Amino acid sequence: MSRRCNAPARIIEKVKIMNILRMTNINKSFYGVEVLENVNFDVEQGEVHALLGENGAGKSTLMNILGGVYTRDSGTVEFEGQTLHNTTIKMAKEAGIAFVHQELNVVNNLKVYENLFLNKEIINKFHKLNKKEMIKRTQELFKDLGVDIEPNELVDNLNTGKKQLLEIAKALFADAKLFILDEPTTALNNDEIYHLFSIVKKLKDSGKSFVFISHKMPEIFVLADRYTVLRNGKFIKTGYIKDTTPEDVTRLMVGESYANREVYETRNLGENVIELVNFSGEGFKNINLTIHKGEVVGFTGLQGAGSSDLLQGIFGLKASTGGVLKVFGEEIHAQKIHIAMKNKIAMLASNRKENSVIPDMDLLENTYIAEHTLSSNKQHINYKKEMKKYSDLKQRLNIKDNSQKELITNLSGGNQQKVILGRWLNTEAEILLLDNPTQGIDVGAKTEIYKLILELSKQGKTIIVNTLEIPEIQRVADRCVVFYHGKIQIILDRQDITEEKVMLYATNAIKNLEVQYD
Amino acid sequence: MTEKKLNKKYNIFTEIWNRYNYILIFVVIFISFIFINGSATTWKTLVNIPRHSTVIGIIALAMGLIILTGDIDLSVGSQLALIGGLTVMVFNNTNNIVISLLFAIFSGVLLGFFNGLLIGITKMPAFIVTLATMLIFRSVAQTVMNSNKWTIYQLDANLSNWKKLWSIGNASVPVINVPIMVIIFFIIAAVVTYVTTCTKFGKKVYAVGSNEKAARLSGINVRWLRVLVYTLSGVLIGFAVFLYVANVGSVDPATSGKNYELYAIAGVVIGGVSMSGGKGRLLGIIFGSMSFTMIDKIITALGVNPLINDTIKGLILLLAIFIQMLPEIMSKMKTNKHISSSHGDAS
Repeated sequence: MSRRCNAPARIIEKVKIMNILRMTNINKSFYGVEVLENVNFDVEQGEVHALLGENGAGKSTLMNILGGVYTRDSGTVEFEGQTLHNTTIKMAKEAGIAFVHQELNVVNNLKVYENLFLNKEIINKFHKLNKKEMIKRTQELFKDLGVDIEPNELVDNLNTGKKQLLEIAKALFADAKLFILDEPTTALNNDEIYHLFSIVKKLKDSGKSFVFISHKMPEIFVLADRYTVLRNGKFIKTGYIKDTTPEDVTRLMVGESYANREVYETRNLGENVIELVNFSGEGFKNINLTIHKGEVVGFTGLQGAGSSDLLQGIFGLKASTGGVLKVFGEEIHAQKIHIAMKNKIAMLASNRKENSVIPDMDLLENTYIAEHTLSSNKQHINYKKEMKKYSDLKQRLNIKDNSQKELITNLSGGNQQKVILGRWLNTEAEILLLDNPTQGIDVGAKTEIYKLILELSKQGKTIIVNTLEIPEIQRVADRCVVFYHGKIQIILDRQDITEEKVMLYATNAIKNLEVQYD
Repeated sequence: MTEKKLNKKYNIFTEIWNRYNYILIFVVIFISFIFINGSATTWKTLVNIPRHSTVIGIIALAMGLIILTGDIDLSVGSQLALIGGLTVMVFNNTNNIVISLLFAIFSGVLLGFFNGLLIGITKMPAFIVTLATMLIFRSVAQTVMNSNKWTIYQLDANLSNWKKLWSIGNASVPVINVPIMVIIFFIIAAVVTYVTTCTKFGKKVYAVGSNEKAARLSGINVRWLRVLVYTLSGVLIGFAVFLYVANVGSVDPATSGKNYELYAIAGVVIGGVSMSGGKGRLLGIIFGSMSFTMIDKIITALGVNPLINDTIKGLILLLAIFIQMLPEIMSKMKTNKHISSSHGDAS
């Protein structure tokens, strides 16, 4: 099944091109709205090129055009000096473009080597699978890569990091020359990230090229050679990483809205609202923390460091295994969401689509559903009263809708998030646990959400914001709690919150990183 | 952003369609019914449509409530056999209508609660649990019957209250000339519709069916809500069984209520309630179950070979679902053309 494309290889020898990929003046619109406008993007052979931009900037559309998922309206795509026309997914694959998606495309209930040889199995003359040969070749490849995966292992038993490596190995088998890594590190822990990076570096040295999509500045500055910034579907800049700083890149990414951001003010904090003493549970242990009324506390750490688990522990979603949780001075024992809500705790969960949005319900229903679990002694729904509450919320949160009867799925991500936030404000909670509140929303809505956080804190609400994006914490938080392996690594006061410092504590190993890659 | 715009347009059309297609289907079938019956159409044949839909309609309402949460109950037919048989025994022994009614409802609650516990608390899949209880309930009914050496549970017509019970199932309200059963059916449908659309409990049912995780994170106790839903449908099923007994006067545990789960599901689906849960209004089930009854009557009126009955019913069911899904199918064919074709290539 795996056909090698010999034609482009010959051209390399003849023309000896520098750029493996050159995309020029790419335009793409969906139903009349421009998503990409004259975008230029090129990748040199043997480089890691970071593709940067806010959500909705057009990164994934551009990569989907490259991968043959979408067709471009105009513009040219040259790959290894050959112009690609009417690319399909299959064509892109055969040309040597490998798209390693965020959602992994491995088959969980097959073994590792079976995944690698899926659809191109080696068979002997009796049409029987030649397992030995396949396993041998898998071992050879893994040895070359320095990957420690047992070929006979069931893929389901691998962790996310290994699955990702498996996907890269799969692409290598298909003779890929350009790898598109779409936020490959979001689900990985530190060791896995290092491992991934060292493999990327190895492959880079052997002439493979990479497009690296990530939101984590430190990683970009460790791994990438060049960067290209897109904003609102427009090409902004291409340059060398060594000539720039994270701040400059961020400014290029967010543009004007960077200027009209919300204003942080110092406030007088009130009494203790949340007290955690040796609080432990699944994913977090021995947490000691006191949070005051009106305070905004930022939680951060790498994916899986425990900050999100702690929020879930406070909200009663995850069982605690020890320690004390006091809310407004009273100890809470029962680990139930309902009890947390009665104690005026609200949690805006991460992964909005999966955990928050009720897709078959309209906006009004989506905002009152949580409050109704608190007031279920009165069963009849007073439509007028609910409407009034909704229009108040709509004004307060600046929700842009046509009618409260619209389905929530009709709204943009930012507006959906505001509706969900409205759901929790509706419960009159005093403590708001916001888990990744700006996930998948545009810059404008992000600013609005952060303005709202500050506004709510002035009204005396106690707010915890859990996010991986440190600039966001810098914008609103009074303190920043950095997590590592389920424990609090350090609590930084506002003036001490810098990206470098936070990353230093969050990774617990920044020195290794520098030694390895400088 | 652009996809959103398209969605909006498509949604207005789909929403109206999703909301009212059951009425359209009902009207079409109703007109063909009148057409085929011709001059034989009388007031009686007309009121017989809802009358003959009552038992299956109320069971379908119970089924609809369960389907709204995304679950299913395959045991309703067997429940009818078991509860029905026992109710006949209770009446024959007590000669008391109220006690018989309460017994039927209480049994329904008990069986529903049992299903609900298994599905809600132990989290076993509803399909398998109710498949198992479907077998169990009917087998228990037959075993009990056998041990009593009866072949059929028949109401004892010599009892003083038999006539009263019988008239609940067969008599009409004098002046307006509408069967008592029909009035009960409509009242129950109205109550169930009110509960699902205008109460907090009802909205929770929809929320769980639409996105269980989000519902749980909104503070809904999903496990007990499931138990409650099965228990409440038990109330409805118990009531339906009581009406069945009053109407038919006998229960044969081997055959009574056979295939009722399938007819109930058909009524729910034709009534515009989505099998995936969280979508549709239970009011549609009145129309859905009546549509299904009319199909039966049309087939009888046409005098076709009775063996081919289910073929025709199945085809009409397919057609009804196809009509319901039309906007979705159309829009998918339009927008996903190139994506789906490239997907095909990818494999």
